[in-house]
Amino acid sequence: MNTNSNLYTVIYTTLIVVVVAAVLAVVSQSLKGRQEANEKADTISQMMTAAGFGSKEEFGKIGNAAVLARYAEEIDRAFVVGPDGQKVADLPLEKVYSPSELKKQNYNIKGADTPELPVFIFKNGVTVVPVYGAGLWGPVWGYIAFEPGSNVIKGAYFDHESETAGLGAKIKDDPEFQHSFDGEMIDFAGVNPFDIVKGGAPKDEAGKSLVDNKIDAITGATMTSRGLENAIDVWMATYAKYFLAEVEDSSDDVNANDDVNGDDAKEVKED
Amino acid sequence: MEYLSLLVKSIFVDNMIFAYFLGMCSFLAVSKNVKTAAGLGLAVIFVLVVTLPINYLLNEYVLKPDALIEGVDLSFLSFIIFIAVIAAIVQIVEMVVEKYSPSLYASLGIFLPLIAVNCAILGGSLFMQQRDFAGLGEATVYALGSGLGWFLAIVSLAAIREKLQYSNVPAPLKGLGITCITVGLMGIAFMTFMGISL
Amino acid sequence: MDAKLKETILNPIFKGNPITVLVLGICSSLAVTVTLKGALVMALSVIVVTGVSSLILSLLRNTIPGRVRIIVQLVVVAMMVILVDQVLKSFEATYAIDKQLSVYIGLIITNCIVMGRIEAFALGNKPWPSFLDGVANGAGYGLILLIVAFFRELLGSGTLFGYDVLGWMGYVPNNLVILPPMALILLGCIVWVQRSIQKDLQEK
Repeated sequence: MNTNSNLYTVIYTTLIVVVVAAVLAVVSQSLKGRQEANEKADTISQMMTAAGFGSKEEFGKIGNAAVLARYAEEIDRAFVVGPDGQKVADLPLEKVYSPSELKKQNYNIKGADTPELPVFIFKNGVTVVPVYGAGLWGPVWGYIAFEPGSNVIKGAYFDHESETAGLGAKIKDDPEFQHSFDGEMIDFAGVNPFDIVKGGAPKDEAGKSLVDNKIDAITGATMTSRGLENAIDVWMATYAKYFLAEVEDSSDDVNANDDVNGDDAKEVKED
Repeated sequence: MEYLSLLVKSIFVDNMIFAYFLGMCSFLAVSKNVKTAAGLGLAVIFVLVVTLPINYLLNEYVLKPDALIEGVDLSFLSFIIFIAVIAAIVQIVEMVVEKYSPSLYASLGIFLPLIAVNCAILGGSLFMQQRDFAGLGEATVYALGSGLGWFLAIVSLAAIREKLQYSNVPAPLKGLGITCITVGLMGIAFMTFMGISL
Repeated sequence: MDAKLKETILNPIFKGNPITVLVLGICSSLAVTVTLKGALVMALSVIVVTGVSSLILSLLRNTIPGRVRIIVQLVVVAMMVILVDQVLKSFEATYAIDKQLSVYIGLIITNCIVMGRIEAFALGNKPWPSFLDGVANGAGYGLILLIVAFFRELLGSGTLFGYDVLGWMGYVPNNLVILPPMALILLGCIVWVQRSIQKDLQEK
């Protein structure tokens, strides 16, 4: 057979392309469920790590099913707020925001559309919200957990797509960097909600930053640190109205506690 | 102005060779003298500028989730589509050049098949997909900048290697060994551009 | 025949190593050698891709039209790479690693080792030797990857496979080793060592 004739070439190429496309479509469809389950469990374990329920390694070891079960146990409610701080809709409890959904919301924050800002509240009152932005090579994102009804950070977890391993990738791999967020505050009313600065944050003897909304940048990863700071600033400014109302509410509750009993105060808050 | 900063950025800050180390194989193999290096560099610029906008349009109107049919995400096909476009363009370019400009073919032609498997070309398309450029113009400027950066890198390496011929390099290190180390040192030098925001 | 097969397997690992002798597949080797774990997964992925795509193209070798040869090769290789990527993403154990390698998994397609071996060997040989040639070249590539990754992880992070090796004695990680240029310099040194041993490989 003449393998160089035009007809043969065209038929052959078409055949190869059709076969390859069919194989890929079948494989991609049949594995899609598993891939999404992996991504979801990964996202949940990042949120749980930020909220202080364990470390990312522990969640990785216990497996997807156990992570989901643990999350179902701990999560109280989840909802979406708008940039005006008002609740827009409730989220089903099994719904989380994957990095690709955060990316979409990041466009919206920059003005494409009204952003949906997810808020996850655990049964112990800890509130978790996401952040998303650009690092040096690709996107960086993460989850910040707040103490109940306050602007004090309980914990944080960050992830990235392609930062330099050993330098920028430390935002994910270095627990020390992530723990340096613990106990810091986000200045929701201010112009600069949070700062990640190079060697700029004064520290006490234990190495804890003394300025409430300032932590040390990662040595050798200035651009990644700057990108992360920018992501936090932009997202926290968008969440500001929600948190300002929330923090005010809970300080009202403290005052209310003087003359009303705690149960009532709690009900007021949940209303 | 935005285009200009993107251009400068993709030439120096995001240099394909020294920042991402893409397209190393042909970079090391074809940098023995300045003339052939320049030929390959030109071919890379040309193919990048032609294929990247095409892949941009394909990504925008076919591959992105919901782009072609609502609710269908074809992004798992992006590798194969990009590479098929690159291979097809390279082959078409080869045929056209051979037919209409034999002199250009004589100088560029031998490099064209090499380019289909040059990581810098596919890398350019993958980065384009990752970065979500705002329009065709930006994608084209990015392609031009990346190509120029690659051209610059290979010509300067070739110039250094021409000079190296007169140096007394230990025998086992001659050729590939010293070239690797030279490129490594050039990469460290290029790191000064890293992190400059324009 | 047996001796020839043995040669097919052993040659790419040492004497005809794809990276240090044939200068193929350098790009990806620089990016994924920061940690041993990443290097290992990358090596295994490349072994699977080169082996199976050599096998498939060797089976097809008499039917491929000459003019679209490169496109057909690329399509088959790309299919294999996407399959590996999708499979890595689907298992709990490998999901995290796939995230780390994302872009470079895609670049296996243009890894010259795969295309180079298909052109040079698979299109002219029977399926079984082609498969072995693909696997052996993948292994030779993987060997260099692991050597480079060993030094980069040890010196750059003070760990091996993520376990602390140097950190406990107060070793301060050398950030320079983690950056890609240092991988090239290490590669240069590996070439130096290899060519001091095998003098016939030295260039004039």
